[in-house]
Amino acid sequence: MNSRLGSQRISLGFNSFSGLYLLALFIVVFGIWTPRLFLTLATVQSVASQQATTAMLAIAVLIPIAAGAYDLSVGATINLSTIICVWLQTVRGWSMWPAIAVAVGACVVVGMVNGLVIVRLRVNSFIATLGMGSIITAVQDIVSGQNQPNPPTGTSWMNLTQLNVAGFQIIVLYLLVLALIVWWALDHTPAGRYLYAIGGNPEASRLAGVAVGRYTWCAMIGSATVAGIAGVFYASQTGPSLTFGAGLLLPAFAAVFLGSTQIKPGRFNLWGTMLAIYVLAVGVKGLQLITGVQWLAEMFNGVALVGAVSFAIWRQRLAEGRAVRRNEDRLPEAGASGPSAAKDAEPVPSRAGDG
Amino acid sequence: MAAPRPALRIRRLTKSFAGTVALADFELDIAPGEVHALVGENGSGKSTVIKILAGYHRPDPGGTVEIDGTALPFGSAPAAHEMGCRFVHQDLGLVLQLPVVDNLYLNSGFASRFGTIRGAQTRRQASELLKRVGLELDPRASVGSLTLAQRTGVALARALEGEDHRQVRLLVLDEPTATLPEIEVHHLLDMVRRVAADGVAVLYVSHRLDEIFHVADNVTVLRDGHPVATTPVSSLDKRQLIAMLVGDELGELPSPLAGRAGGPAALSVQDLHGPGVAGVTFRARPGEILGFAGITGSGRESLLGTVFGALPRRGGVVEAGGRPLPPYDPRAAIVAGLAYLPPDRKVTGAVMDLSARENLSICRLRSVRSGLLLRGKAERAEARLWFDRLCVRPAGAIEKQLATFSGGNQQKVLFAKWLRLSPRVFLLDEPTQGVDVGTKGELHRQLLAAAAAGATVVVSSSDLEELVALCHRVLVLRAGRVAAGFDGSSVTTASISRASLGEQEVVAA
Repeated sequence: MNSRLGSQRISLGFNSFSGLYLLALFIVVFGIWTPRLFLTLATVQSVASQQATTAMLAIAVLIPIAAGAYDLSVGATINLSTIICVWLQTVRGWSMWPAIAVAVGACVVVGMVNGLVIVRLRVNSFIATLGMGSIITAVQDIVSGQNQPNPPTGTSWMNLTQLNVAGFQIIVLYLLVLALIVWWALDHTPAGRYLYAIGGNPEASRLAGVAVGRYTWCAMIGSATVAGIAGVFYASQTGPSLTFGAGLLLPAFAAVFLGSTQIKPGRFNLWGTMLAIYVLAVGVKGLQLITGVQWLAEMFNGVALVGAVSFAIWRQRLAEGRAVRRNEDRLPEAGASGPSAAKDAEPVPSRAGDG
Repeated sequence: MAAPRPALRIRRLTKSFAGTVALADFELDIAPGEVHALVGENGSGKSTVIKILAGYHRPDPGGTVEIDGTALPFGSAPAAHEMGCRFVHQDLGLVLQLPVVDNLYLNSGFASRFGTIRGAQTRRQASELLKRVGLELDPRASVGSLTLAQRTGVALARALEGEDHRQVRLLVLDEPTATLPEIEVHHLLDMVRRVAADGVAVLYVSHRLDEIFHVADNVTVLRDGHPVATTPVSSLDKRQLIAMLVGDELGELPSPLAGRAGGPAALSVQDLHGPGVAGVTFRARPGEILGFAGITGSGRESLLGTVFGALPRRGGVVEAGGRPLPPYDPRAAIVAGLAYLPPDRKVTGAVMDLSARENLSICRLRSVRSGLLLRGKAERAEARLWFDRLCVRPAGAIEKQLATFSGGNQQKVLFAKWLRLSPRVFLLDEPTQGVDVGTKGELHRQLLAAAAAGATVVVSSSDLEELVALCHRVLVLRAGRVAAGFDGSSVTTASISRASLGEQEVVAA
């Protein structure tokens, strides 16, 4: 899945930055349509902070997907973190920091178990984390007794995310810091390089001496940890909810896949993911301001995801088609020396050949 | 000849690719009911013949192929099928998890009524079909539970399947026994004879000469694209057939490299067992270039992977520099100074989606990192250096995705990836596969330089000329074991070829 989406690496053309052009288009169109509602600092501030937890969850999805592993349990994990953190404070009367530590710690354990199942038991990550998500939801019900705990009321708890920094909620700053750290880790450390190599070809990575299992495991832990932190912030910003996580899963995945068509097309990358989150958010915000309907977000996200990825694949096929035609002109001498070349050129003429 | 009209008649068939002739003036007749063997070394043009018959290649103008007296239109797989040509490839194309009956009818459609499969009737038909190739088995058995010979039989039966089975005129079998254990070969040969007895002309392509004497009526030998001879099998013995295959190359020059290898073993392998490898022992010294030859299925394809740890080891000891290596652990092998270039770039050799630079440095990032950070500048400089050193084209395109490079340049990048570790032992599986002549020369030069600098180089290749040009010593594998060894002036393509095909030689390993 990784890197089947685009063909070029960094280029400044439409290919890499179509999201930015789209963003500009949204701003112009909605700005002209409803300038008094749309073109305000308040809109910018609210979009930025409303999307912060979704963006963090997208980062959680991004880390393992770079290594070719899906983490579908992040939705349940972020929810678990929220509920534990709030429940410890309001039901058990803990103070803020220990509650946060336990909530995030529980999520780290979730990541470790995910890694165990995927690496040691060799269960496909899609299935492992799908099941894990369900288990987490059940655990959450056991802890909370299916009663939504009351939100903590302390000002330090509210200020954790809602403190005003230059008009923005401080959670936006947290997002920026988190994004910088993960970008740095993925693009500028050996660990990040190994994750991308594993995502591209696990067997070739293993033969190059990369500890495939260990890095996959770390990616799962990283994913759950980021989801856990995002869950704490969500609780502080919005309040506890027993079910919100499931609703964030799709937008997070959508942003990661959309993001892989941006900035560095063909690679799941951090800034592409962030761009995708905010382009979608701006589009939804504008449409909501104009029409006032609520189902727009779902519809818009879904259409944008399928549309943009189809477009990227179509472009890729065009490019590959050209490459195939080029290669056919200089087909290797039949059977001479290349097992791989010969395999590619294997005809499938008979019924025996296909099936 | 007063013989009946041939089922297959090929006249003056020639095929060239970009100036090189793969097949020249090929002629062939096969009568209905005849099993005709086609033999030749790698690159002799066998697969070109098959691909023309299958409609995959168009031959050069002038040649003709007639099926039962009717000209075969070229370049169309459906037309070939329509005229009764059937093909069974080495990869049988069966779905192992599904029952035999489903495999037989997946492509052609099941007997059905109102859209529902008529199970009993389909199974009855399947049983009859299987009986035609001499297989008595329950069509409900899953293909995965069958022996390899039985699976090939199912593929044969499927090839014969049709509304009116008499329309099958020609059955082409492409190395059907390459992966079969010795004891199952005869079972398959019986099936082939039975199909022929039904009046089908069979073109039988194989490397295994013994079975040709068992199954074929006539044999055609190809060498370098030219048909050397067509004779009845009964008029030949194996020695004569081998002589036809490899030609008289006894006067060929010996290996140009003087054996300068000396000292203790850098790599020592004792009684190695693994997939396709059944007890291989050898030692290689610093500065030595050791080659491995063998036909498909001899263990040549999996030996080096098993040594390195790419493939699981089932027994035996591998020692590098006197220290034993754990099985199936590439990291430990790399730390011990081994480098391994796998035979298939796309599948196991490289991360095609990453850039050339990233592929180059993946094995050791230690040298291009400070603390936790990668030093991009140092990494890029090193990548550029290797691009220059190996003349990778396009020059300096270190940030391009590896997939966008040509095969030869990809191989150079992967070569550089290991060269930069200065390994003590190179294990190279088909190092110049799908690589143009110029690149091949460059890679060989690098190998010779590495050996001259004291590295041990072990090459496994199906390209005998490559082995002869490079190696001080060549070991020939047969049935998973070392069957023969040559060194110095006895390393010739003819001697290796003879030993690969099973002619007895003195083992000098």
